[in-house]
Formats: sequence, structure tokens, C-alpha cells
Amino acid sequence: MKKEKIKKKAKKPDLESLKSKALWLRKKVLDMAVNCGTGHIAPSFSCIEIVVALYYTSFLKTNPKKPEWKNRDRFILSKGHASLALYPVLADLGFFPFSYLDRFGKNNNYLGVHAENEIAGIDVSVGSLGHGLSIGAGLALAAKTDKKKYRTVVLAGDGECHEGSVWEAALFAASHKLNNLILIIDYNRLSAMGFLKDYQDIEPFEKKWESFGWDSIFVNGHSFESILPGLLEANSPGRKAPLAIIAKTIKGKGVPFMENKPIWHYRVPKGSKLAAARRELTKGDNR
Amino acid sequence: MKKKKEGMREVFFKELFKLAKKNKKIMLLSADIGAQCHDDFRKKLKNQYINAGVAEQNMIGVAAGLAMAGKIVYVYSITPFVTMRCYEQIRVDLCGMNLPVAIVSIGAGLDYSTLGFTHHGTEDLTLMKALPGMAVYSPCDNTMAKMLVNETYKGKTPQYVRLDRRGFPLIYEKEKDIDFQQGFSHLKKGKDLYIISTGRMLLNALDAAKRLPLDCGVIDLFRVKPFNKDNLELILKKVKYVASLEEHFTDGGIGSSVSGLLAGLKHRPLFKPIGLNNQFCRSYGSRKYLQNICGLDAESVAKNILNWISNNG
Repeated sequence: MKKEKIKKKAKKPDLESLKSKALWLRKKVLDMAVNCGTGHIAPSFSCIEIVVALYYTSFLKTNPKKPEWKNRDRFILSKGHASLALYPVLADLGFFPFSYLDRFGKNNNYLGVHAENEIAGIDVSVGSLGHGLSIGAGLALAAKTDKKKYRTVVLAGDGECHEGSVWEAALFAASHKLNNLILIIDYNRLSAMGFLKDYQDIEPFEKKWESFGWDSIFVNGHSFESILPGLLEANSPGRKAPLAIIAKTIKGKGVPFMENKPIWHYRVPKGSKLAAARRELTKGDNR
Repeated sequence: MKKKKEGMREVFFKELFKLAKKNKKIMLLSADIGAQCHDDFRKKLKNQYINAGVAEQNMIGVAAGLAMAGKIVYVYSITPFVTMRCYEQIRVDLCGMNLPVAIVSIGAGLDYSTLGFTHHGTEDLTLMKALPGMAVYSPCDNTMAKMLVNETYKGKTPQYVRLDRRGFPLIYEKEKDIDFQQGFSHLKKGKDLYIISTGRMLLNALDAAKRLPLDCGVIDLFRVKPFNKDNLELILKKVKYVASLEEHFTDGGIGSSVSGLLAGLKHRPLFKPIGLNNQFCRSYGSRKYLQNICGLDAESVAKNILNWISNNG
């Protein structure tokens, strides 16, 4: 019993250290993409604070020494094209050596644009949109059936919610009262080609989740002051339904000329643009 | 009143139920079908049965998640819906992560003869064969369908089982006559010609063999993948003619596997693939009627083979 209590008394996250971790992660994402000449920088920048909040607070229980630890929380990066935002974190936590990051996307490599489950710390292979929530629902259902404590967290894109399978999974998760399933949506309102509202609108988004039987909350996806209380909501003992955390974000966040510009969905800056991007990220050092 | 004979699904799920009572890790997911054959599961093993609704894509994803958490998962629906509707989920979630989920389909070929082409299983073998790591089974009778429960239970990869609603009359009286390691059965020996077939078409193949004025052998290819090329080759290379017979489009079905094998032989027999031409069957009626108009009844098959041999003597 005592041990349980100690576990629950998690250290209060230090906001400044989370912010500098987020800045470090943005720089790593840019460096890796530039080194390889490919990668989704802007979609990764969109979810940097979310990934940092999940892995550098006591929220997500993982064990880098035992990646297959049975009671680990499961994390599915359903918007798999943002794998660049996850690899440096996994290396930093000790799932695999930092040297792997240098080989991202190169011949005979270990890490590709979309993460695969053969990589330590990756539970589910990703890359095709609209798959993660169903798999997460299966994992969450198994945990409930087997009375296991682990939670399943799925990070999806808002453009990804164009996939019908997301809504099949939404119905399923609510019907099975999967209150151990947390969906975080990187709500940047952009997909590869443009603003969702201009071609396939998903609004009213929060109401959709609620009408599907989910609990839903809005957070500012770039503010730890907003994300952390949102994650705490997931721990609320009285919750009966799955939880959708809609994290309002900016695609390309951190480099102003990339922000909200569809063209940067899958483009790597070169020359003066690269120098400008690096300058923007260095500005953050003096924050 | 005469009791309706059990079909493949009845014996399959009865056997699975027995196993599931002993092993609580077994779970059965249905995409809103299986009215009577799932009754026991529904009533007596509520925690191991899920009606996933008319949502096959999600069903496969959920099955993947359950399998990752250590469950032994069976998913079930009518052939096109549990193969094509959710094909990418099968490819990525099951095959991409090599999860031991058994996909059980009902309605091989023209089985649902009155329901139209939307319910026909005429491309499933092609699609399932194409996926890396997928084992593909096509049983021909109840004896084999029942045995496939244990076989899939032991399986370590994604698996596909193509059930037919009918499983009588039996082709195998005894289980010991079925060797899953071998993957095919040499049902009838022949010196001139072999017909290699799968599923309920075996009945037509055996019947056609009798009608032919040739020494015609018959092979049941029940494990379509992995395809036991080496052992089949030893048999087929000895005859002058080989025909394949399937209630499936000839493009990509068992005929494609056989033709690939034969193409590699130095002295190869002539080959005739028989099956459904690459067009949807737009007629309705009995299974027998549809097979007849598609040239898959025993008489048509025998005539077709005889004509072909006469022209290639």
C-alpha cells in the first residue's frame, strides 16, 4: 500500500524544464529532417508540447530498460508522420542510442519517416491514418477485461478525422465505456493541402465527440500550463467515458514562416530558409 | 421435421466455443452476423464475444489491439466485408505487425447465390494470398472446418479461413486423412491429368474426374498459403495435363499459384485454369444454377477439359 502511495505522489513538473525540452525537441526535429533531406517538420512542431508533456511528466508510465513491460501505458502516434517528434524523446529516455537519430531515413537505418513497432518504445506501427484509435480501443478493452491498470493514449491529427474508421472507433470506445482510453487530437485545423474548413469541414468538432458519447475538453496544445491540467482530467476517477483532449495547436509552431502554411507540411528548409528557421529556434533559448 | 444439416460455420464455432470455455484468452468478434452459430458465445461467454457492429475496419483494428494485449482473436463476417472493406487494416495492423488474428469468412465463391455480387467471395483468395505472413485456408467440408479451429488456435501469424455455408457431404470421413503440414491432399491418383481444386468445388472436381475418359487425378489444395510448391511439383510434373478449378476469379486464385509452379518446370504439363472469368456474376438463383451458368458444374468442367485436351493432343 505504501509503495502505491509513493508512486501516486508524483513530482510536480517543472514548467521551465518542460519548455526547454520542447525547444530542444524542435531543434532535433529540424536537424534530423535536414540531415536526411526529408520528414514532416511542421506536423511534428504542431505536437511537440503534447509529446513532451506525455513523456517528461509522470503521466505516461514507461520503462526504457524494459520496453515490453506489461503494465506500461500504451502510446499510439496515430498521426504517424510526426514520428520525428517522438524519436529524439525515446533516445533521450534511453529506449535506444542517440546515434540512431543521425541515421534517420538513411540507408540501412533504424528509424524511418513513420515509426514501426520493431523500434524499442514504439507499440504500434504507424503511417496510415485512421488506424490508431481502433487499435487503442482494442488495447483499452483488453486492459478492462483483464483488470489491468495501464492506460492507452492515442495522438491523432484533426485531418486524420476525415477517415471514417476514426468514427467507427469512436462509437466502439463509447459503447464499451473505455474510460481508460485517452485520445489527444492535434487540432491545428490544417491537413496536407490546406485548411479543413475550406474543403472538408470537421466542425463543430467538440460537439461531434460529445455526441458520440465521449467526454471532451479543449486545451492550448502549446502551453504546458493548459496541457497538464487537461491530462489530469484523464485521471479523474469518476469518468465513465473515453476522453478526447482537443489540443488547439499551430502547424509549424516555433518557426513563424512555417506556421499555418500548408506548403511546409512535407518540406525541409534549405539555405537562407534553414538559417532563418535555426535563428527562430535559437530565439527561444533566451526566453 | 428433417433436421437441417450443420454447415462449416456451425461446426467451426461449436468447436471454437469448446476451446474458448477452457481458454479465456480467446475472443470472437463479429461484424453483426452469425445469428445462430454464435448463440453459445453470446449467452455463455459474454466477456469473450463482441458484436463490433457493421464496422469492419474498426473490428480489425480492435482485434489487433486485443491480440497485442495477449488475446487470441477470431473475427468473422461475410467474405467481401471481412476481407475487402478492411483490407488496409488487415495489411497494416495484422500483417504489418504479424499479429495472430484469425479472419474467418463465410460465403465462399457464389455461396450467397441469391444475394448478388456484393456478397460473393470471388477475389478473397487473391487478396489474402498477396499479404506477407498471411496463412490462407480453404476447407472443403465439415471435417476440415472443425480441425481448422485447432490449427488456427496454434497459429502464430495472421490467418484467413474461407468457410462455405455447406460442409456436407463430407469429402474426408476421418481427420487423420487431413495433413495440415502438407497443405494439400492427394484425393485421387491420376496418370494423364490432374484437377487441383479447393473448397466445395472439390465435389465438382471429383465428379468431373469421373466423367472424363482419362486417368484423372484430383488434388485438394486446402492450405492455399503457404503453398507447398515442392511436394505438389513432384505429383504434377508426372502428368501431361493439369487443370485448376475454383469458385473464384481465375486471376490470382489457386490457378495462379499452380501456373507459377508449372512455369518453373523444365518439362511442364499443359495447364488450364478454370474458375470465374473476371466479371461479376449478375444472376440470382440457386448455387447450382449459378455454377451452371458460369461453367463450373461438373458436366461443364468435364466438357471444357475434354475440348481443351482434344485441341492440344
